[in-house]
Amino acid sequence: MNGLSLHRKIEEHTGLLIFGILFVSSIGGLVQLLPVLTQDSLATASANTRPYTAVELTGRDIYMRENCVVCHSQQVRPLIAEVERYGQYSRAGEFVYDRPFMWGSKRTGPDLHRIGGKYSDEWHRLHLLDPRAVVPTSIMPGYPWLDERLASETGNITSKLTVLRRLGHPYTDEEIANAEADLEGLTEMDALVVYLQMLGTGFSEEDAAMQGGAH
Amino acid sequence: MADLPSGFWAGWIVVITLVSVVALAWLVWSIYFGRDQHEESEVEPVWDNNLAEGHNPPPLWWFWLLFGAMIFSLIYLILFPGLGSNTGLLNWSQGKRVADSYGNFEATFADARAAVVDMDLLQIQGNAALMDTAERIYQRECAVCHGPEGRGQANLFPNLQDAEWQWGGLPEQIEQSLRGGRRANMIAWQSILSAEVIDDVAGYVMTLHEGGDADHPGKPLYEQNCAACHGVGGDGNEMLGASRLSDDIWLYGGDFTTIRETLLYGRTGQMPAFGERLDDFQIKLLVALLAR
Ligand code: HEC
Repeated sequence: MNGLSLHRKIEEHTGLLIFGILFVSSIGGLVQLLPVLTQDSLATASANTRPYTAVELTGRDIYMRENCVVCHSQQVRPLIAEVERYGQYSRAGEFVYDRPFMWGSKRTGPDLHRIGGKYSDEWHRLHLLDPRAVVPTSIMPGYPWLDERLASETGNITSKLTVLRRLGHPYTDEEIANAEADLEGLTEMDALVVYLQMLGTGFSEEDAAMQGGAH
Repeated sequence: MADLPSGFWAGWIVVITLVSVVALAWLVWSIYFGRDQHEESEVEPVWDNNLAEGHNPPPLWWFWLLFGAMIFSLIYLILFPGLGSNTGLLNWSQGKRVADSYGNFEATFADARAAVVDMDLLQIQGNAALMDTAERIYQRECAVCHGPEGRGQANLFPNLQDAEWQWGGLPEQIEQSLRGGRRANMIAWQSILSAEVIDDVAGYVMTLHEGGDADHPGKPLYEQNCAACHGVGGDGNEMLGASRLSDDIWLYGGDFTTIRETLLYGRTGQMPAFGERLDDFQIKLLVALLAR
């Protein structure tokens, strides 16, 4: 048998053709995805990475809802230019509690993975209300409604935490019981700023020692 | 060490990858060169009456392209990580590349940068190239708050071009503000003083830049409550970050409503610390720029 007669045979048998297509297109996944899913070192949290608190998680959901991810990535790549501009490059272990991750693929604005602590809360508030108030040439849209809505109305935080716990995030009963109280009185703006201020703080020097991690 | 798969899964990757490459090579090879006589003599299939399927082989340069790509991928897999736990002959990793870049950067610029850190400010300020660099660092790190021209913004971020320095304008003081950040601590007086007292004090504070109205009912109240930090004459105190009230320069605003608001709710403006973000060279340049 050679390639051509094999080709003819496949062409004439639809079932074989379908099987062949599925088989060939699964090879990439079998080699690239399957082993990584089983690689514990990539699923182990960095030393300083912890699950999101109720407030942070709500801020994160607002970040998703407002689609900040279309303009902002959350992955500092391992290149000197990026490390100089944003800080330490991102490590796999920092994302273990991200469901889904907010890596993004386009930077209309700067990367936000190391934004935590870079500016004051007050700056973030002003900037989110009206970016032009602090960056005259900014093309980022304003989000004034965040200041008018309550964080507690952004989905059911108790069931969010419960579901995440089922997926393996180590929340205690107490944390889940207090989740609603934690959101009491906060606006969506407050929650989003809390989330932004904790971004990138899960990095630890231990990760730095484990260089590479190209995956 | 690079974080590569090991054990069973490493073998899995190696086997599937190599088998795929070999199978592809065989497929491409046999399509070009493996046609046998039996095939040639077979009746060509004809579709829709007149659409005959011939045996025209694809152009030969496609073969070389495909074959070349396979050779390339094998060489790549020998040199770089990719095949299971094999780190590749070049021992390359992304983390190492960053480390190498920094090594290179240090080797090329460390001496020149260290020399700048030891220069005195006047010398730096007289050097156009260094001041250009300082300006770029300012635009990248500081402009989002203090404004592209350093004139302050949003009644929240201080003007850096005027003569008023809340935390001190000496080079050492500026450097301290940069490295450690600053957190203002103006008390919220609403729970301590009554609304009338606050109104009186606010009214008196507005007269301070003209020397202070000696007959103002707010004067004794000011002296009793505020003078400890802001000084009897309102000269401020750089050690505490208590601003000077005896000039007519206002960060949050100098009208009665705003001053009253400042008194009622306090102010806790915050300058982030840059001691870890920036290195000595960058901080030195910024101090030179700001202390001009
Ligand atoms: C249309 C694209 C766009 C969208 C959508 C967008 N941004 Fe931005 N963002 C920008 C641009 C451009 C900048 C840079 C100019 C500036 O600072 O305003 C920026 C800057 C920022 C910065 C400052 C980053 C730095 O390092 O200086 C933060 C924080 C930020 N955005 C947060 C957000 C959040 C949170 C959202 C969602 C609520 C969001 N952005 C949505 C375009 C966008």
